[in-house]
Amino acid sequence: MELLWILIKIIIVFTVVMIHVMYATYFERKVIGHMQVRMGPMRVGWHGVLQPIADGIKAFFKEDIIPTAADKKVFYAAPLICLISALSAVAVIPFFETFAIANINIGLLYIFAMSSLASYGVVLAGWSSNSKYSFLGGLRSSAQVISYEIAMGLSLVGVMMLAGSLNLSDIVHAQMQSSYKIYLIPQIIGFFVFVVAMFAETNRTPFDLPEAESELVAGYCTEYSGMRFALFFMAEYIGMIVMSCLAVICFLGGWSGPFEVPGIPFFWFILKAYFFIFLYYWVRATLPRYRYDQLMALGWKVLIPLALFNILLTGTIKSLIG
Amino acid sequence: MKIKYDTKKRLVEQIFLLEILKGLKLTLKRLFSKPVTVQYPKEKKPLFPGFRGRHALIRDPKTKAAKCVACMRCATVCPSRCIRIRFSKDDETGARKLESYEIDALRCIFCGYCEEVCPVNAVVLTEEYEYSDYTRDPFHFDMERLLKNWDDFLEKKKMEPEKYLNPYLRPRGLPVGELPVGKRVEVPEEWTMEGQVIWKDGKAVSAKEADC
Repeated sequence: MELLWILIKIIIVFTVVMIHVMYATYFERKVIGHMQVRMGPMRVGWHGVLQPIADGIKAFFKEDIIPTAADKKVFYAAPLICLISALSAVAVIPFFETFAIANINIGLLYIFAMSSLASYGVVLAGWSSNSKYSFLGGLRSSAQVISYEIAMGLSLVGVMMLAGSLNLSDIVHAQMQSSYKIYLIPQIIGFFVFVVAMFAETNRTPFDLPEAESELVAGYCTEYSGMRFALFFMAEYIGMIVMSCLAVICFLGGWSGPFEVPGIPFFWFILKAYFFIFLYYWVRATLPRYRYDQLMALGWKVLIPLALFNILLTGTIKSLIG
Repeated sequence: MKIKYDTKKRLVEQIFLLEILKGLKLTLKRLFSKPVTVQYPKEKKPLFPGFRGRHALIRDPKTKAAKCVACMRCATVCPSRCIRIRFSKDDETGARKLESYEIDALRCIFCGYCEEVCPVNAVVLTEEYEYSDYTRDPFHFDMERLLKNWDDFLEKKKMEPEKYLNPYLRPRGLPVGELPVGKRVEVPEEWTMEGQVIWKDGKAVSAKEADC
């Protein structure tokens, strides 16, 4: 019975996340289009609302091209590694009070682990494609993810210290009981570092060097086509959703809100998560790409010291006050 | 030159990412502005008179044939040499008779010299621009095709052939006396000599003065 309930939960979450991925692509194109005073997709359905479905069908029926020089097994595995690790991270996210597929005690660490694992997919894809662009993309991705993983982990240490737990539900509960209700205020430095690292971790503009289309064709997924490419695409968007959810849980108080919305326990959670997803689009429409050395300098010289300082500050204040 | 930085300001800017926030503000503002997109096949931008589109030979309402007198000016002035004219001479009167008139639209650069130079306003570039095709043949216009282009254009515009005017049929800024008879057509007030400024004897004068 327990197992069945978990299975049902998995199906619900999977469906909801996949629909969100579909429409995240649509809204990204719409939002960026309007920010650039264009319209975005307009043809498929009313204002292009069926565009993601058309894209899906197109990707599904496209020819699956595999380079002759590619390392076949790794080439096949890479997009799956990306997608599976991105999807499994969703499992620990508590969408509301009692709803998480797996309410485990090391939730935060698990999400870190999964997002690092996703970068394996990127690196392996770049390696196995046997193409210089893919290879450069993969290399950049590995360097970038290693650098920003540290900053991201350190930025959340403050949250862990305040909450005293790695369990995501417990973090939300701890926030509800804290004096500010959300950790955004006491952890503003951590929040800043986390948001910047979040962009880098999901390979989004301004840190989209692994797939910098103006330099590397498409980076690590240059040689991928059809459905395999779509898997990478989905993994990227699921990564965005997971990171948005993580930001909501760790800094904005998860599902808690100023008042209860009857019947929709996840109302505030979704609203906050949508804000972060919108932020992704907003930043993409605004900022150009960082240069590689700037990216590394920002990561190692600014974000990591800032995060360490934040830990020091949090620790000091916590030991002084209580 | 030494660049002076306002270090204090720069520090504040760098810490609070002011430039990035400014950029974000701008994009957010644009999000709520009206897109400039013209949804092309559904919406079309208005064309101005003198738009240089598909070629046509004006069909003379009286004779129902082309007005061309085979003077060869268009073929001579054409920079890309895409006009081919053949004519025969009447042995008695010496009058030229047009045998064929061909335009290779794929070579044409749409400069409009041909319609500008034509003394009888026989050849024009119409406002039709949607005539793409899969082969090259349809772009090689012979006389019949050019006359048909004119008929199609009139039908599309729903216009009397006498009403059609474009700035090339009577070049602006030139005194009427210097124009060939065929080009002395009626034009709207703003196209006439009044207010036209031309360059004469090293200074800009109104075209009317220059005419005197």
